[in-house]
Amino acid sequence: MPMPSRGPAPSRLPAMAIRIAPIAGILILWEIAALSGIWPRQVLVPLEQVGATLLALASDGELARHLSASLYRLASGFLVGSVIGVSTGAAMALSRNVHRLLWPTFSCVRQVPVIAFIPLLILFFDVEDSFKIVVVAMASFFPSALATHDAVRDIPESHREVARLYRMPTAPFLVRLILPATVPQVLTGLRLGLTRGWLSLVAAELLAADSGLGQMMEMGRQLFQIDVVLAGVFVTGLIGFLLDNSMVRVERHLSRWRTA
Amino acid sequence: MKRLASFALALAFPALVLGWWEWESRQGLGHAYAFAPLEQIARSFLEMLADGRLALHAGASLQRALTALLIGGTIGIVAGVATGLSRVLDRTASPLITVMRQVPILGWLPLVALWFGNGDGAKLLLVSLSAFYPTVLNTQKGMQAIEQRYAEVGRLYGFTRSQSLRMIAWPSALPLIFTGISQALAFAWIATIGVELLFSASAGLGTEMMAAQVAARTDIVLVCVACVGVMGFTLNQLFALLRTRLLRWQPATAK
Repeated sequence: MPMPSRGPAPSRLPAMAIRIAPIAGILILWEIAALSGIWPRQVLVPLEQVGATLLALASDGELARHLSASLYRLASGFLVGSVIGVSTGAAMALSRNVHRLLWPTFSCVRQVPVIAFIPLLILFFDVEDSFKIVVVAMASFFPSALATHDAVRDIPESHREVARLYRMPTAPFLVRLILPATVPQVLTGLRLGLTRGWLSLVAAELLAADSGLGQMMEMGRQLFQIDVVLAGVFVTGLIGFLLDNSMVRVERHLSRWRTA
Repeated sequence: MKRLASFALALAFPALVLGWWEWESRQGLGHAYAFAPLEQIARSFLEMLADGRLALHAGASLQRALTALLIGGTIGIVAGVATGLSRVLDRTASPLITVMRQVPILGWLPLVALWFGNGDGAKLLLVSLSAFYPTVLNTQKGMQAIEQRYAEVGRLYGFTRSQSLRMIAWPSALPLIFTGISQALAFAWIATIGVELLFSASAGLGTEMMAAQVAARTDIVLVCVACVGVMGFTLNQLFALLRTRLLRWQPATAK
């Protein structure tokens, strides 16, 4: 009788441990350095204090307030930016006249990093919520428009030929032909847009905001609370990771028919 | 004729935007505050060009970006070669880089400000970090993706470790290293503007934009935005040219 398979767990566990070891090592070094008192406690904050601050911020609702403000801005900005981006990109790729009209301007404005527009946007929208939503929308607009444009343009001419031959109406043409053919590339563009949106939002909140993770860190800096700043860095990184990771999963899920 | 039509269409959109802008700027003082008249934007541009302000700030930003590219890029390439060659180093350094990279560059800014102040050193540190990530990742990928047949040849000829590094691994990794540097150049430029916006000390296009925003000078802000865009574009194009020149011996793999 064969031995029951024990699954991949034993071999995976050491691999996992090896991957985590360097990070654990750095954290231990940090803790030793913090406790040794070479630097003042306020400058090199012990990890347990960062953890305690994080817990305190989480339990008194402060973190939830900042986090929900940031995520609300990110979600609405990303939604607006990517919807406009995908439709503009598709329109530029499908119609020669739209391409002629918009492409030159699009390629020019695309050269400017979105954070360079922040001072201009402050002048136009003041420092209200709308300003940050516009920043995120702009940051997610360009990658999604570009990816959609390239994806639609790369559809083989033969596909479109067949659709023309069968006199496929516009709606099914978009949903049954253009959409599935472009899914992976467009999703990659959306993921890039989301990452850029997050980066630009943090910058915008550091610069001008009354709430949000960026503002929480900026306040921590002004009050010399390194533990608050570190907690903010940790949460910012975690959100960035979760956003990217979940988009990768969606991408894999929606493009699985390609490889299958 | 067709050419003319597409040219006219290309100009139609910016012309429309500019026309709308000019119209808005004439709708009373409240509007002129945000919508600076086109004529005034042009005048500010010429003024900033003439009194050397534009050159000063653009030069400071450019110098910052390129210095940081040199620092971050060099460290990135060295680290990429090291982690690409050694499994131990790869396993030690790669998880750390992956974890660090999750935090947007400007998210480090408050921490860096507290530890190192908001002087030029702190700015350089952050911009260098932004140039470090793409170079280290691409170099590492390049070193690890050596074609088996070349490695085989090296073994047949009994190459020493340094010989195979110099004659096989390095040249075959070069295209990806260049990709890393060109990404680093773009990131460094963005990060430069970002840190200058947030650390408003000493010269730089970002600092100038922030000052102009506080003074409600849309015209100056726009001149700076255009300058940032043109400079970023020019840097990328120049580097692309340099890349094709330096890699012309490798037409097939370079892309």
